[in-house]
Amino acid sequence: MTPLLIPTLAQTALVLVLAPLLAGVIKNWKAKLQNRRGPPVWQPYFDLLKFLRKDMVLSEHASWLFSATPYVLFLSVLIVGLMVPMLSEQPPLKWFGGALAVIGLLALGRFFLALAGLDPASAFGGMGSSREMTISAIAEPAMMLSIFTVAITAGSTNLGQIVHTVAGQSSAFLNPSHLLAFAALFIVLLAETGRVPVDNPATHLELRMIHEAMVLEYSGRYLALIEWSASMKQLVLMTLIVNIFFPAGIAADWSAASAGRALLFFVGKLLLLSGAVVLVETTNAKLRLFRVPDLLSAAFILAALALLSTFLFK
Amino acid sequence: MNLPDFQLASHLIVLLATLMLVVQLLMVTQRMLITNIRLFAVQSLFLSGIAAAVAFFHHAPHVYFMAALTLAGKVVVLPWFLKRLVRKIGIEQEMHPWINPPTAMLLCGGFTLLGYLVARPFADTGNLGSNTFGVAIALVLMGFFLMINRRRAITQVLALLCAENGLFLAAISLTTYGMPLVVELGVFFDLFIAMMVLGILVYRIRATFASIDVDRLNQLKG
Amino acid sequence: MEGLPMLLLTLTLWGYVIGALAGLLCWQREKLANLLSFGSATLAALGGLGASVVCLVGDATSFSIRWDFLESAVPYLKFSVRLDPLSAFFLLIVSSLGLALSIYSFGYARGFYGRTKVGVLGAFYNALLLATTFVFIADNAFFFLVSWELMAMTAYFLVTFEHEQPEARHAGVLYFIMSHIGTGCIILGFLLLFQASGGYGFIGFHALGERMSAGRRDAAFLLFLAGFGVKAGIVPLHIWLPAAHPVAPSNVSALLSGVIIKSGIYGLTRVYFDFLGTPPLWWGVTLLVVGSVSALLGVLYALMDHDLKRLLAYHSIENIGIILMGLGAALMFQHANHPLLGAMALIAGLYHTINHALFKGLLFLGAGAVQHAAHTRNMEELGGLIKRMPRTAFFFLIGAVAISALPPLNGFVSEWLTYQSLLQGFGATGSLTRLIFPISGALLALTGALAAACFVKAFGITFLAQPRSVQAERAHEASPTMLAGMALLAVACVFLGLFPNQFLPLFDPLTDQLLGVQISRQLAAPGGIVLSSLGLEAGTVSTLGITLTAVCLLPIPLALWIFFGRAAARQTGMTWACGQKTLTPQMQYTATGFSKPLRIIFKALFRPHRAVQAEFEFSPYFARTIRFESHIEETFEARIYRPLQRFILRTSRRMRALQAGSLQAYLIYIFVTLLLLLILTL
Repeated sequence: MTPLLIPTLAQTALVLVLAPLLAGVIKNWKAKLQNRRGPPVWQPYFDLLKFLRKDMVLSEHASWLFSATPYVLFLSVLIVGLMVPMLSEQPPLKWFGGALAVIGLLALGRFFLALAGLDPASAFGGMGSSREMTISAIAEPAMMLSIFTVAITAGSTNLGQIVHTVAGQSSAFLNPSHLLAFAALFIVLLAETGRVPVDNPATHLELRMIHEAMVLEYSGRYLALIEWSASMKQLVLMTLIVNIFFPAGIAADWSAASAGRALLFFVGKLLLLSGAVVLVETTNAKLRLFRVPDLLSAAFILAALALLSTFLFK
Repeated sequence: MNLPDFQLASHLIVLLATLMLVVQLLMVTQRMLITNIRLFAVQSLFLSGIAAAVAFFHHAPHVYFMAALTLAGKVVVLPWFLKRLVRKIGIEQEMHPWINPPTAMLLCGGFTLLGYLVARPFADTGNLGSNTFGVAIALVLMGFFLMINRRRAITQVLALLCAENGLFLAAISLTTYGMPLVVELGVFFDLFIAMMVLGILVYRIRATFASIDVDRLNQLKG
Repeated sequence: MEGLPMLLLTLTLWGYVIGALAGLLCWQREKLANLLSFGSATLAALGGLGASVVCLVGDATSFSIRWDFLESAVPYLKFSVRLDPLSAFFLLIVSSLGLALSIYSFGYARGFYGRTKVGVLGAFYNALLLATTFVFIADNAFFFLVSWELMAMTAYFLVTFEHEQPEARHAGVLYFIMSHIGTGCIILGFLLLFQASGGYGFIGFHALGERMSAGRRDAAFLLFLAGFGVKAGIVPLHIWLPAAHPVAPSNVSALLSGVIIKSGIYGLTRVYFDFLGTPPLWWGVTLLVVGSVSALLGVLYALMDHDLKRLLAYHSIENIGIILMGLGAALMFQHANHPLLGAMALIAGLYHTINHALFKGLLFLGAGAVQHAAHTRNMEELGGLIKRMPRTAFFFLIGAVAISALPPLNGFVSEWLTYQSLLQGFGATGSLTRLIFPISGALLALTGALAAACFVKAFGITFLAQPRSVQAERAHEASPTMLAGMALLAVACVFLGLFPNQFLPLFDPLTDQLLGVQISRQLAAPGGIVLSSLGLEAGTVSTLGITLTAVCLLPIPLALWIFFGRAAARQTGMTWACGQKTLTPQMQYTATGFSKPLRIIFKALFRPHRAVQAEFEFSPYFARTIRFESHIEETFEARIYRPLQRFILRTSRRMRALQAGSLQAYLIYIFVTLLLLLILTL
């Protein structure tokens, strides 16, 4: 078990530590691009610490489900983090699940969070839950189809195997099907992490918010877990995208030297993708809720074309 | 020409053709007129990139000329002209398609499939970029579809130009060096004239009906 | 090995017969009738469970029983049954669900004391189980059809059990008509098979398709698809299902949705994989398309429905679609001569069949407990039940997670298998038709996500937040036997979710019988807890592993709490209500509101209609009374069935001219027919 133990611990720590930082970086860069000073990149850590120490107020209408949800969400996202190849092609939990389990576990967390949104009997929570489930439902086919495309090329749903196959192709970045699937997944990423054209992560108490409305009744330790999970989910999805489509620098095993080198590459790639996200967030306005299906259907068609182009350019 | 070069070029051309397709799809979903014009410019840029790549790898100077012409005409001049027209007649920015974007997207996905099916017999000629013929057909079909789906005269012009982009791509993918230069020039010139005529026409239509909705043209029947 | 399952099976059948008779005989003494009929059913179901497990685990793959004494009474009809692996698998489904339902019924039937005849309910319930068991084990077409009709009739009586309500009577009539259209198609299909084989025995039908002409084979395919499709509830033959299932008593609803519609799946599997031989490509494609469409439309209509039981009934259509996707893919692989992949797809479909029986049974029982306690099925009048009936809520939550195909429960495992077979199908088949695999995979993803949304609605509105009516406020926890029935099914869902590797070997004799391969070893990776898709490289999953990892990681959030949050207090307060003093139940999101975004997004399908009338004095923002009305079009009823109905009525009016009413006229008809027949024979 020892050879597996160290990677598991390393990746767990990486997911837990890197996630708030990434959220902080995106927030900071976005502010800079909009000519604001912005919070320091370390701010999410301070926030989490503050939430953890604060008193907690639970709604009188809430049930045990409300208290269980932060744990379910946190654990499901953390397990997903252990299934995704980060530094090495061999994620610690590679036998326990591939792409389908990742999608399933994320859906599990969302399911409970949406229920917790309904639990305290507030109108905001219900609205958030309803919208979250709607948007995730129409984002799902695009996500599945683009994952199918890369999985078909690799002949496997095992994420490590997919990354390995892509890394083996010299000119994978020129492959149109990869490009299209990347575009589709990027749109899905924006939708799933509640980024600007779909949801606004910076607003509280506006009628257009989704994620923030759902978690409105949470406070204290539970809020810390939920915020942390949200940032971990963002990290995991971004990792998935960068490592599937740009596997450059990823290590084949877990030796210290190659893992260290991989870490540098990994952080660099994440920062590049964050830059793209920041750029999209700054240059676009939030869409009306009923324009979001247009965007996501575009993602779906891109994914379908990605699939088609595996024939198209044979 | 050695083999790795050929493969690289082939990859590059396919990638650019795919990007053209993506831009075309974005045009189908995009509701803002000015953005549509910009997208057209981007698409033409990719097209001229393909032409330049073909010229480079085949050492065919006259295709360079076509690439340059596309760059000058379709990336710079025509978009500028169209934007000026839009600003000048001050028409409404948002256009109202007949079919809602998700359905339109699905249709376009279907067109791509059709293009692929039709182009299959031509895909194995071994020419550089011959496998983009399917995309070319899809682009022409989508151009036609856009023409039908949009109501404003000016957006129909834009759609016509997109269809022409598709034709150009088809010419590159089917023959080794594109169409003969004269034909190409002729087509380009025709298009330019058509643009001018349409530009004036749009102006006139607006002057007559205070709208450039082509639906109003049926009032001409008297 | 043959003796034990035969004995158990015989006991099972007699158990149901005794249960039915006891219910009828003791109908005046309610408690006794309840105890005897459901007790007998419990024991009988246990026997059936034993028989099927012994048959699937043991080496004796099939055996048959004949009852000669009945044959002498009814000529031409052979009363013979045979338990082969396919039958045994469906016997397993009916018995395991029957067991849980019978235990549940002890408590549930008490709600009928003094209102209706519990004995009659018990009798029909037993008869339905008996008939269904016979359908699964009948060994010839005649006996199959007799059992099939018996099943349809008893189901009809149970649907109309609460016949005081016009809703139930209407649903019964619809069910009766649709069911008989289906049976007609099945009879025609069997006639085609009879023509080719010259007998009625199922053994003689085996691989019969190879000896039939292509046209007849295709005709048989379509007839059986329509016939069994009506029973299974595929779109567009489904319209009776959401009407009939909710109006029956809840234990029967669970049986109808869990098992009876599976008889359609049984029929399709039996006919397509056992009788009709190597299929042409388009059969599989048809099944896959029908399955995808049924799944998607089923869940979309479920989202729009706010009657808890009707919502569940629509979900049955969805899940039948998912099952058919597995079967369709299996047919396509059989055409492409990929027995291993075919077996995986077939297992995916059948695994989902038993999963659906379990979690849908569980959910219907939960809905029954809710209806029992709050006297309504309308979700808009429920809410807050998680505090009043916590155990029911917990079991319902397990069912909801399972049906939404979320890890680590059983729905996820079978959908994972379905996805894997669709995915591998793309690589294993040629031609453009293989595009259908990823597209239907994407549709399955959409279906799954919408199902999750639907169950957030179903659970969230019914059980969470504040009660929306007085009845919901006064609800009470279900009785112990009802809870026991639900607990049994919940445990089964968890077991099939966490231990697929222990369950998969049961499929070996079945795939061996139908496709000639055994693949449980390939699916179960060495090590015991990892499920692989025919090879470790192609993809693996381990629900048990995920669960164990979660347990191992649980110390992290707990440690955070202990290190940082020990001093933090935890207090209860009001939900924030935008500064208003109180939060009334009217302020909560409703089921209608919850599904509104999807109603608008899919408005091309639903064609929602909405009308608002407000009376106000000085400003429309301060309305005195407001009337809001919103409904969606029932597309299939309006677009297909009503025009059809009008056509039939019109035609019948014309035909009325023939019905002159005079004896001579009728004699002439007969005479002319006779003459024509004689001339035809010339």
